[in-house]
Amino acid sequence: MASEPTPAGGPAPLLVLDDVQAGYGRAAMVLRGLTIEVPPGTVVCLVGPNGAGKSTVLKVASGLLKPRSGRVLVDGDDVTGRGPQAMLASGLAHVLQGHSVFREMTVEENVLLGAYTLRDKARVAERVAFVRDLFPIVGERWKQLAGLLSGGQQKQVEFARSLMVDPKVVLLDEPSMGLDPKTTATVFEQVTRMRDAGTAVLLVEQNARRALETADLGCVLDLGRVHISGPAPELLADPQLSELYLGGRPAEPSLPVEG
Amino acid sequence: MSGSLLFQSLVLGVLLGGLYALLAAGLTLYFGVMRVVMIAHSAFLILAAYLAWWFNERTGLDPLLSLVVTVPLFFLVGVGMQRLLITRLRPATLTMMSVLLTFAIALFIEGMIGFVWSGTQRRVQLPYSGSNIEFFGANIAVVKLVAFVLAAASLGALYVLLKKSRFGQALRATIQHREAAQLVGIRTDRVAALGFGLGLATAAVGGTALALDATIYPSLHWHWVGPLMAIIVVGGLGSIPGTAIAAMVLGIGQSLLQVELGTTWAQTLFYVALFATLMLRPQGFFGGRLAQRF
Repeated sequence: MASEPTPAGGPAPLLVLDDVQAGYGRAAMVLRGLTIEVPPGTVVCLVGPNGAGKSTVLKVASGLLKPRSGRVLVDGDDVTGRGPQAMLASGLAHVLQGHSVFREMTVEENVLLGAYTLRDKARVAERVAFVRDLFPIVGERWKQLAGLLSGGQQKQVEFARSLMVDPKVVLLDEPSMGLDPKTTATVFEQVTRMRDAGTAVLLVEQNARRALETADLGCVLDLGRVHISGPAPELLADPQLSELYLGGRPAEPSLPVEG
Repeated sequence: MSGSLLFQSLVLGVLLGGLYALLAAGLTLYFGVMRVVMIAHSAFLILAAYLAWWFNERTGLDPLLSLVVTVPLFFLVGVGMQRLLITRLRPATLTMMSVLLTFAIALFIEGMIGFVWSGTQRRVQLPYSGSNIEFFGANIAVVKLVAFVLAAASLGALYVLLKKSRFGQALRATIQHREAAQLVGIRTDRVAALGFGLGLATAAVGGTALALDATIYPSLHWHWVGPLMAIIVVGGLGSIPGTAIAAMVLGIGQSLLQVELGTTWAQTLFYVALFATLMLRPQGFFGGRLAQRF
């Protein structure tokens, strides 16, 4: 099946991965000609079985992993092969899978480190006010050690940290991992709030059904390529897709499909 | 033990502990930032001690003035060492291989010292070498006091640097989550190199402080490897305040035990503390997982 980018005719995409091939060391290629677009003001969700290359997509986009071929474009600029610092400067922020707060620093220190590359103090203060408003829990726990917060609270600190540079696109890798259903709901709510506050989101989720309910657009990844893409509600409604990738009925766990 | 002897031992223990804290600070820094076990740290201490002695021998000036040269020199050597050698090690086996690599460097430095200055024992002779001051009835050697003040001042400066400066924030972030640090725009490889340089710069100060009150010889560094490793494990690897507290506790303990048991047996305190820590609280007593580092 051909990989189709998001529907034509919309505004110019903020982030484009164009025919990207990437892999780790000498092991086989993980991404094999992947194309994805993230338009402004949208949440794009990548779903797919284990090993489909979902996290790798985000690592290529944030510069943690250099692609072997293909291009990465941010707002029309070719930023292919640049490192994390340059990617951050061009407007991509990446929130890693699992817990990635600086555990033995306070919430304040964590959030301020998000603005490590900003020199303008007034601008930093403005961003601090913005993220504290967007994530009230961050303000409430301001002086506490980040490592002592609950999983969901730590995730929000990570979100706040990533928004300090006012990125064009936030890359979220499995934000619901290890969280209970109630906290997961809060986290997805925060994802929507981030989008409404003007940041596009590229979301990778194991919890596919839940993620597609939040997202505007969805891409199903399999074997390092985009298998199907389209508006999230359409993907959710597709019975065949539901069976293959979303684990049939909502209650059942999803079975990974190989080949 | 009489009261005045106890007090005397206690004061000497505090001074000794302060010096130990400085000698061990670099060691915990390398491990914290890069998971490097730096066997050669003590060898660099002795090298700095030799440079201080040689400087005094040649110029007749106070050996403390040698710091003007040795601190920047050691810093640069540290940055170079990290950039050229440590980064070549594969991340998966870094900690283990760093033992081997830095062991080799320690041997190299020991050989070089012996080659340049021979195996003869050396000692810095200062106008104030033999003088004591009285402190509430305790007799304190001036050189020990000077070494302590030097240690306290440099540890204080190190603490402020790590806690308050932008570089310190970046270093602590790199220690705690390297990938997340990269993603907020910190150049972690550069930070690691500077961190290594900083660790070696503390060795320059530590070695000079040591030279004021010790007879030095090329293989002396082996005597320090064990106790310093014990201090950083007891203190919690990677934690500088933890190291300082552990150094103080063990320094005072050693000083008090010396009176009853003699120097050789008092030295075993370090190993007893090391074993006890590994059995009871392997993450260390004063740094710990969620304790505030630095």
